Amino acid sequence: MTNSGHAEFTSRVPLHTFTGESGYLTGMIDYEENIIDFYLDLNTLRTGIDRRDRDMFRTLNVDEYPFAEFTGEFETLPDLQSAEKQFVVVVGEFTVNGVTQNLIIEGSIQSDENGIVLAANWNLLLKDYEIEPPGILFYRVNDEVNIHVKALLKPQKREESLNNN
Amino acid sequence: MKTKSLFGIIASITSLILFQDITQAQLPRERVQIDEPVENVFWATTNIGISTVRNLSASNLNTTIVHTFGPVNSGIDQFFGLDDGANTRIGIDYGISDRLSIGIGRMTFNKIVDIRGKYNFLRQSTNGNRPIDLAVKTSAGINTTSGIELEFSDRLSFLLSAMAARKFNRFSLQLTPMFAHFNLVADGNPNRLFGLGILFNYELNDRFSVSSEYLPVIGKRNSGTRDALGVALNIDTGGHIFQLFFTSSQWHGEQFIMANNRDRFLEGDFRFGFNIYRVFGLGR
Repeated sequence: MTNSGHAEFTSRVPLHTFTGESGYLTGMIDYEENIIDFYLDLNTLRTGIDRRDRDMFRTLNVDEYPFAEFTGEFETLPDLQSAEKQFVVVVGEFTVNGVTQNLIIEGSIQSDENGIVLAANWNLLLKDYEIEPPGILFYRVNDEVNIHVKALLKPQKREESLNNN
Repeated sequence: MKTKSLFGIIASITSLILFQDITQAQLPRERVQIDEPVENVFWATTNIGISTVRNLSASNLNTTIVHTFGPVNSGIDQFFGLDDGANTRIGIDYGISDRLSIGIGRMTFNKIVDIRGKYNFLRQSTNGNRPIDLAVKTSAGINTTSGIELEFSDRLSFLLSAMAARKFNRFSLQLTPMFAHFNLVADGNPNRLFGLGILFNYELNDRFSVSSEYLPVIGKRNSGTRDALGVALNIDTGGHIFQLFFTSSQWHGEQFIMANNRDRFLEGDFRFGFNIYRVFGLGR
């Protein structure tokens, strides 16, 4: 369980890329039920320019759809006791802007003395989620956005996670 | 047909059960409560001619271009002041941290180069813990006009101002007591000037706001000068902020407005001008 994971996106406009980050990725892995559930309050994303943040929130309709969410399962359960980094494939549904799409994400998982470190990286197309790429005059934000997440999950009882995160 | 319908019903029920299972297994979605600063107390770092509490984020570079033309009441012959030549200031400011910025600029009148810094002590917070913005600005201006045989120290002027502001829903108000010092002044004029800037901004929507500023000089003032007044329309284009304004003063920078404005806005002595702001994120 975590509520302080790192989520990051990288977007491109002509001659320039910019990054938005949040340290409020919340999620859990229910190993017994093979459920992975993560969400991010999109209002916590920051790109470094507050006016660009405001435009981003407007583009993502965060007032109506405040969360980006992923719920899914491991294709093959990893060994959570192993201290070695393991390659994992996760299958599930990703929702943003109120639009849900099936998604397969590749990532890694590794146990250490503090918990389980989960990392994943994938690309999404804004048009798949009915997000109109913002544009100014002659340039427009690229339709493809790279997402990177990394979280340290600490052990917690299942009931506690579901009732009180 | 019946088989298909039956299959559809079974599939729907199965999906519903599965969806319920997944939903029940999900974490409850909760919004993050961040104690963050209130945004857009003012839309730009300067409102017409007076600095606002707005500051740059760390590693942001703000470019500004400011023009004020001649008096509108000069009529069609001077195309309402546009033919009179503008006092132009071009400048850049850089955010060293989210609270501290430094900048430099140059304006046409007296070829003044100014260096300035702004620091935010307090930021009004969305949860109400901090009710106001508090900031200070300091600036030094250097008259770089050649051939006037002034000592370097005689070319200098200084400004120290404090800014207190609060945003009430769409309406923002700022009070700016300020102190200016000119090393060299004309006979009879004071070296020190005190003023109180009064600014407001009202957001019409996400793209437009109207703002105004009034700068009375308090106490002894330069001979023939008047308190400055201006009104502006702010336009947020997404990448730029444009301020289109009418103002009595053709000067830029608080100390120069206090020292030099001789026009009375309410008597029709005002001029058109515009400010353009563009922020570049250099950090990421």
